Amino acid sequence: MFSRPTTDQVILDCRNELLNAVDSAVSDPTVKITIQMLENVLRNVAERAAHEIAWMHEETDLMIGFADEVETTLGKSDELTAARSAYNSGRSDSLHLDDVSKTYGLAGECFSVAMEKVFAASHTALHLRSREILAIRLDHENKIMGEWAFVGRG
Amino acid sequence: MQDVAAMPELLGAFLTKESGQTATVTSYEAMTGGYSRLMARAEVRWQDGSTETLVLRGDPPPGKAMMETDRDTEWALLSALGQADSIPMPKARYYDSTGSQLGTKAIVLDFVAGQSLQAHLNECSPDAGYGRHTFDLVDTMAAVHRINPDDVGSSIPRPTDWSTYLGGLIDRFRQADHNHAESNPFLRYVAEWLDANRPPPLPLRLVHSDFQPANIMVGTDGSHQVIDWELTHIGDPREDLGYYMIYSSASGPNLIVPDPEAFLARYREKTGFGEDTINMATLGYFSSLAAITVYGQVLAGAGAMARGQNSGIMTTYTLNALTVGHNNFLAGCIPPTL
Repeated sequence: MFSRPTTDQVILDCRNELLNAVDSAVSDPTVKITIQMLENVLRNVAERAAHEIAWMHEETDLMIGFADEVETTLGKSDELTAARSAYNSGRSDSLHLDDVSKTYGLAGECFSVAMEKVFAASHTALHLRSREILAIRLDHENKIMGEWAFVGRG
Repeated sequence: MQDVAAMPELLGAFLTKESGQTATVTSYEAMTGGYSRLMARAEVRWQDGSTETLVLRGDPPPGKAMMETDRDTEWALLSALGQADSIPMPKARYYDSTGSQLGTKAIVLDFVAGQSLQAHLNECSPDAGYGRHTFDLVDTMAAVHRINPDDVGSSIPRPTDWSTYLGGLIDRFRQADHNHAESNPFLRYVAEWLDANRPPPLPLRLVHSDFQPANIMVGTDGSHQVIDWELTHIGDPREDLGYYMIYSSASGPNLIVPDPEAFLARYREKTGFGEDTINMATLGYFSSLAAITVYGQVLAGAGAMARGQNSGIMTTYTLNALTVGHNNFLAGCIPPTL
């Protein structure tokens, strides 16, 4: 396969074509709004295509690390053991997007169950650590979102 | 409803049948601005020579809706509110309850001349401020929350008590996560935080649930009419305060931010609620909690797309609203201190 131009470059080129060639030829206000939405979605997916596998890997490690830290600090629980077991049996080292996404989802469940245990124990330090991981996840989402507001509302 | 060429004849026949006098549709066009439902505007000439403008609000084709709500419920609610004269709003006139005549289930409403409050706000300069619009917005929100829940009869469910209701609302975060196509730790975190930090109760009232300036029409005299009641339910009125806070943070201007205390004081004055229940802390709490109604609908649409059951630009475009929600969830859930 060829890798240059990269996927995000190709998508952004489509976006430019949409804005420069298609939008100027359209006068229907409902279609114009659809074009604005498409422009936004194309920007989002370009950013995702460029980084999502790396970001999911990074977050997966952080979430599993947190789950293990919670188990070490607060002890075992049936829910956390079950989530960790599902992760161990379902995870994959494959870099295909669907496999990475599945592993990421299983890690997310471990993280969620661990956070619930932290709340039940009112453990402030682990609570704050969970927020740091959520903040990293949110930072990635914000980079994908970029500038965004509801178009066509008013 | 989407077939603009066929609709004048179909709508004319529908109105004639429903009203008992011949109606001729002289123009029909799709309207922009609505996200969840198809909207159209029609000019109608009646048999007696009078003319008027009507608005149609109908369901998108199956698999194309960014959120699923029930037109039967909306029609029953609008009819009840109109009959009780609860609050200024466009009158709901007719309803194709099967979609057999208008191509989709659709409600026909009075047209409101003028602009939305959002359009008025867009014309204001932030440096010059928003004049009467801030307190007008508060007063309209308070008017919604002064509506007697009995006005809507049995058109929407009535929760038994505040505590059970709030618990159910919090649990919707967990359900939304459970039903989605992948794990979403934000939802589980927020649910735990909200459960651990419950505010003092308020009487259950009508909650609009999409209270934002694009859903307020401003008449030439400055008066307000509230539209788009599809998510309305009986709940905690602070849900609308919180929802407005987060919505306007994403799609401004946010009329609370310049002077939050004055905004809340006006709201307390107009509703009679006390400072123990309406304050900055409860505003933050409900900014997280209230988002779940719309957030849950958007997430359900995303989940349906992930499973191959839904498609369309509205679903992909509004994925970003989930990120907006996550930002607000974390901002509203104040972390503990060591």
